[in-house]
Amino acid sequence: MTTLTDRYLAATLRSVPVARREEIATELRGSIEDMIDGRTAGGQDATTAEREVLTELGDPAQLAARYSDRRLQLIGPTYYLAWERLLKLLLSFVPATVGILVGLLAAADGDNPGGAIGEGVATALSVALHIAFWVTLVFAVLERTKTPLHLPRWSVDQLPEGPVDRQITLTDTAASIGFLTLFIAYLPVQHFRSFVPTDGEKNLPILDPALWSFWLPFLITVLVATVGLEIAKYRTGRWTWPLVTVNAALNLAFAVPVIWLMSTDRLLNPDLVNRFEWLNQGDNLNTVATVVVAGTALVALWDTVDSAIKAYRAQR
Amino acid sequence: MVSDEILRTHLQELRRGTVVVASLVALRRPDYGYALLQRLTDHGFPVDANTLYPLLRRLEEQGLLTSEWNTEESRPRKFYRTSPEGESVLDRLLTDLTAVQTSLTQLIEGADR
Repeated sequence: MTTLTDRYLAATLRSVPVARREEIATELRGSIEDMIDGRTAGGQDATTAEREVLTELGDPAQLAARYSDRRLQLIGPTYYLAWERLLKLLLSFVPATVGILVGLLAAADGDNPGGAIGEGVATALSVALHIAFWVTLVFAVLERTKTPLHLPRWSVDQLPEGPVDRQITLTDTAASIGFLTLFIAYLPVQHFRSFVPTDGEKNLPILDPALWSFWLPFLITVLVATVGLEIAKYRTGRWTWPLVTVNAALNLAFAVPVIWLMSTDRLLNPDLVNRFEWLNQGDNLNTVATVVVAGTALVALWDTVDSAIKAYRAQR
Repeated sequence: MVSDEILRTHLQELRRGTVVVASLVALRRPDYGYALLQRLTDHGFPVDANTLYPLLRRLEEQGLLTSEWNTEESRPRKFYRTSPEGESVLDRLLTDLTAVQTSLTQLIEGADR
């Protein structure tokens, strides 16, 4: 007949390394019997004594963990902060970036903006879940294998800037990101609803639909990267030279295609140009092109110079 | 008045570690799990069985205890004994314990009440 002790031993030994199982079994059985004997000698009946002894020893899984020095936590204090920081960093921009890109691609592909937004949101959520799951899994494995991380030691230099020294305020960052998001959203939206009055039912996009094959996705990518720059800038708290370099590169990546497309009459939708008589009269289209080109160049140049000046000031 | 829960946690923190010292001292005379448990309890070191049994194995793996099976009695028993390495570790631990006690005494005497 299987006694409670037999069942308790089986439950404990299940998760103890095989090599030591036999020895632990013999020793633990002996100890349990000793404990029961100790109680029956005091006048208790054997059944009650056995129950009490096993209850005192507690959950077999916990006892087994103590025998094999196994950790009873998913991620312990050694790894917790690294796990939390990495997770926060990745979740702060990866799901949103991927979601926006997927949404834009879906919007460019089909003619269902609602569906495209849904697809973007669903992708962002799924990416967030994947990041949370895989990062946690890797850290849980590190915890179990007790792998040293060799992270740089914390130093006082890592202390965040005091709020007074902040060159980049949260309001500025929020405004910039809000504007960029609206701009990004406008590019696919104008393709479906430009609010340009037309004779027929059909919507008249403002930008040339042929650009969706490459240039518009490219510009959107540049704008998304600019959102990333705004976040990086806020985290740093001020303009630094690497940030200025990235800013200049992003400004170039945006302005050069826009200027080139506008100068070669490829930016605006040809149907839109035909729709408005004024644009076709004389040099009017060229005037619009010149204004757009000059405006884009000026904004890009001013933004780059401004960032460089601020970086120079922050340095001193 | 602090809650019993808080008091219990602090006492537990204070006692943790002394079980190792007490076991190394007690096992200068070889003994098996249950008998050691009894001896420690009798000498004012109440320790849970599910803490002590795995602890003995761990100390053995660390080389601080040696063991020997005794099969002469009604049931086979594993007798543990403090090894020479265990003895030198114990020596260090006892020195430290004394140092803590001394420092604490000085602190108590020097503190204004």
